[in-house]
Amino acid sequence: MGSEHDARGKRVTAGPQRAWGHPGAGARSPLGPASRLDDLLANVARGDELAYEAVYDLTSGWVLGVARKVLRDPAMAEEVMQEVMLEIWRRASRFDPVLGSGTAWVMMLAHRRAVDRVRAERSHADREMRAATAVIEFDEVTEAVEASLERERVQRCLASLTQLQRECVSLAYYGGYTYAEVAELLGVPAGTVKTRMRDGLIRLRDCLGGPGVQR
Amino acid sequence: MTSDDPDLHTLVGAYVLDAVSPEERARFSAHLAWCSACRAEISELREAAASLGTAQAARARPDLRAATVAAAQLTGQLAPVIARKDIQAGHGRAARSSGAIRWISAAAAAIAVAAGVAFGTHAVDMQGRDSRHASGIVTDVLLAPDAVMRSAPVRTGGMAIVVASRRKHMAVFIAHGLRSLPRTSRYELWLMGPRGERPAGLLAVHRGGMAGPAVISGMSRGDMVGLTVEPASGSLKPTSVPVLMISPRGR
Repeated sequence: MGSEHDARGKRVTAGPQRAWGHPGAGARSPLGPASRLDDLLANVARGDELAYEAVYDLTSGWVLGVARKVLRDPAMAEEVMQEVMLEIWRRASRFDPVLGSGTAWVMMLAHRRAVDRVRAERSHADREMRAATAVIEFDEVTEAVEASLERERVQRCLASLTQLQRECVSLAYYGGYTYAEVAELLGVPAGTVKTRMRDGLIRLRDCLGGPGVQR
Repeated sequence: MTSDDPDLHTLVGAYVLDAVSPEERARFSAHLAWCSACRAEISELREAAASLGTAQAARARPDLRAATVAAAQLTGQLAPVIARKDIQAGHGRAARSSGAIRWISAAAAAIAVAAGVAFGTHAVDMQGRDSRHASGIVTDVLLAPDAVMRSAPVRTGGMAIVVASRRKHMAVFIAHGLRSLPRTSRYELWLMGPRGERPAGLLAVHRGGMAGPAVISGMSRGDMVGLTVEPASGSLKPTSVPVLMISPRGR
């Protein structure tokens, strides 16, 4: 199976007899979920509903997790998760494994949607509140993140960044702030923030095992 | 024009983290159509960014699965594209063969450049300040597991955001679009609650009516964050009606 991930358009039979795995299992599988996800997405692009169910099982936990982290509202995070899962179905034909892994593609859709939503909520709250009261309540999220080796590994790599790199990357990715907002929040020049975001990600990539390494 | 813009390339990290404005996203996406080095870098960094997300994996409610799968079955799919790849997603490889895409990209870039100019001035404005000392605290509060964010309009104009961590007894206050005040007066922050009204610091207002981030410490249960206009020297108790009251109270 390991050699299949770069075979564009290759047909992989998706059938009920194949165990595609369940949420969380992929990260520790020796083959990794990455190449399998790429194949599944190619099948989803052809309207394969069983492949879609398998993609759902592999990725919905990731998508929900990032949405929760960014939105800090469980109900809104579920909405975003469902939107993203539908977007995966709709846009599967636009996924190209040559340009990156299926995981990266799914997470790009998920993160972008979560960030767009949190920004819209902020400005929506702005408009609503002008007409109503000056007090607004946001739901507090109880963190319900699964403990996993993957999580530990990422935490360890984040810890290897400089403080400013880590702040810039975390505030952007988990906080949904733009680099200009991060610059404002940290009181450092915007140019510095842009640079730290980039070299922070480079260091993170190197720590996580470099490009092309399948998890 | 765009293809040679050296500033644009520095956006690679921010773009991958979705930490750009919609205008910059469009401008950078257009840039990708020309910049193969950018595309290669982006696809590598995107893998790293994805790990930040997958590390947060949660368990979805089981009943959502059937609902989502059923919804997908009723949803049409986009047809495969041969000549055009999704430039927005960094898939610009095929764009070189498409004159139409080039033209659209260039038009998008031109619009975005105009929007980006205004945006850039705003960012530069923040450069002079030296608040590195406080930034660690600010980040601590913003990323605290129990951080709660509230935003509300300021009665006299502008918007305020408070991020509070009950566990840390601290909050971070940020505002933009605040009305500028005459020299004789200033904005002052307050903690207002069961323990009374305590001054929480004077705010300096920068260009664009931006203020903060200001760290507010010593928050206790039931405290609200208030903002008043006070004499320039500040007050020990509020002397005017608050122009803003935000409750960081959790559930």
